Amino acid sequence: MKTYMDKVHTWGRIWIIAALIFFLSIPVAICLHFGITPRMDVVGKGLASIAFFFATGIIEVIAYSPMLGAGGTYLSFVTGNIMNLKMPCALNALENCKVKANTEEGEVITTIAICSSIIVTTIVIAVFVIIFALNPNFSKLMSSEAFAPAFQQVTYTIFGSLAATYFVKHWKISIFPIAAVTVLLLFVDPGIGVLIPVGVVLSMLGAHIMFKLKKV
Amino acid sequence: MFSDFKSDGFMYLIILAVIIFVCAQAAFFMKKSWTRGLELGITKEKLKNAITSSAIFSFAPAIGIAVTVITLSVALGYVLPWIRLTVIGAIQYETTAAIAALEAAGMTGGIASPVTDPQIFSEIAIVMTIGSCLPLILIPIVLKKIQKGVTEVANKNSAWMDVMTAAAFIGLIAAFIGRGLAGTGSSKENIIGDGAGVLSLTALVSSIGFMLFFTLINKKLKKNWIDALSMPLSMVLAMVVVVLVNQFAPGIAAIEWRY
Repeated sequence: MKTYMDKVHTWGRIWIIAALIFFLSIPVAICLHFGITPRMDVVGKGLASIAFFFATGIIEVIAYSPMLGAGGTYLSFVTGNIMNLKMPCALNALENCKVKANTEEGEVITTIAICSSIIVTTIVIAVFVIIFALNPNFSKLMSSEAFAPAFQQVTYTIFGSLAATYFVKHWKISIFPIAAVTVLLLFVDPGIGVLIPVGVVLSMLGAHIMFKLKKV
Repeated sequence: MFSDFKSDGFMYLIILAVIIFVCAQAAFFMKKSWTRGLELGITKEKLKNAITSSAIFSFAPAIGIAVTVITLSVALGYVLPWIRLTVIGAIQYETTAAIAALEAAGMTGGIASPVTDPQIFSEIAIVMTIGSCLPLILIPIVLKKIQKGVTEVANKNSAWMDVMTAAAFIGLIAAFIGRGLAGTGSSKENIIGDGAGVLSLTALVSSIGFMLFFTLINKKLKKNWIDALSMPLSMVLAMVVVVLVNQFAPGIAAIEWRY
């Protein structure tokens, strides 16, 4: 008999393959609508310049999926904005509901949290973009010098709030990864796409050593 | 609203279909998880808490994402960036992909110059879409194996797994804290607030401070709604502090130690 987790994988695969076909058909539909045959050299050149996306795509799947859970992974990779929205949202829900990740309860809570986030985010983006399109003055105001810094720093406010919860609870294993990542950044900034897996590996390595030494 | 080819009725039809697809998928998984949650003995109150806290939490970052649509709208109109940021997309990828495609098409003005040729516009749409699709191919193939491996390890040594899970989350958070403290800006131009400086530090310190404050309050009052609202409130209040620092001390706000 199929377990709930088996069913999640079946549903997830169906939805994600449907999403892939649907999303790839969008540029095809745009080309047909404008009666255009794309120049393969231009497309190839553009794709070659962003070939590193494919590498970060592989890293993201491996690094994020154990944290997001199965349902959360299928949903998050379809809708994007994972590290600045879906992941902190899932962590926040796990903390609020006092449920462990990597359990079936954790799977349920992270999936529900990410679903809720997707619906709200989609609606909020739609409402605001329509307002921007109808009222250029509003879009100027939102991207003005007064408000722009707040949106520019929104990621830090998300992770600052999360840090307060996690670091207080797990301060012993938090000091090393923060110090290591900060020192690394003083010498080289590889970009957040590389920095996250580096931070995760360093943190797990430090925590593993402390676990073996019975310090946590 | 329908003034040029980048924002014609057809483009709005596409975004409508995208919104329906994305919401239908979320509603499907929400229903299945809700039912399973009740079967597992999770209370309705807890499930509702997960929905409301996540909804409130998502509001401010969602506005942030909507504002980033403005950045790309000069070159691409509103609808294509809207589509890209509703599915798969993230601002750092979409901007890079758009610039790469514009340059490949021979446009040197980057995302600051409007695309006036439907040919180039269509090619940009192709590059932006294909560039971000790899995870959708990989996940159906590898996810079950990854999850199975994680579950096996968790069953073998749950104490070690608990520490490793917390460490993975902390590593993720540490990457962003590190960037706020010592990260360089992502733009070649010197944009205030782009690199680590007073504004990023203000955002970090004030959000940590507000979150600790709400946690302390809730330890005394023990109310579920404070738990649900702590994080979104901390974020919004920290954003207000950033705006105030930028408004009333622009000289100090402009200080950055990493460009």
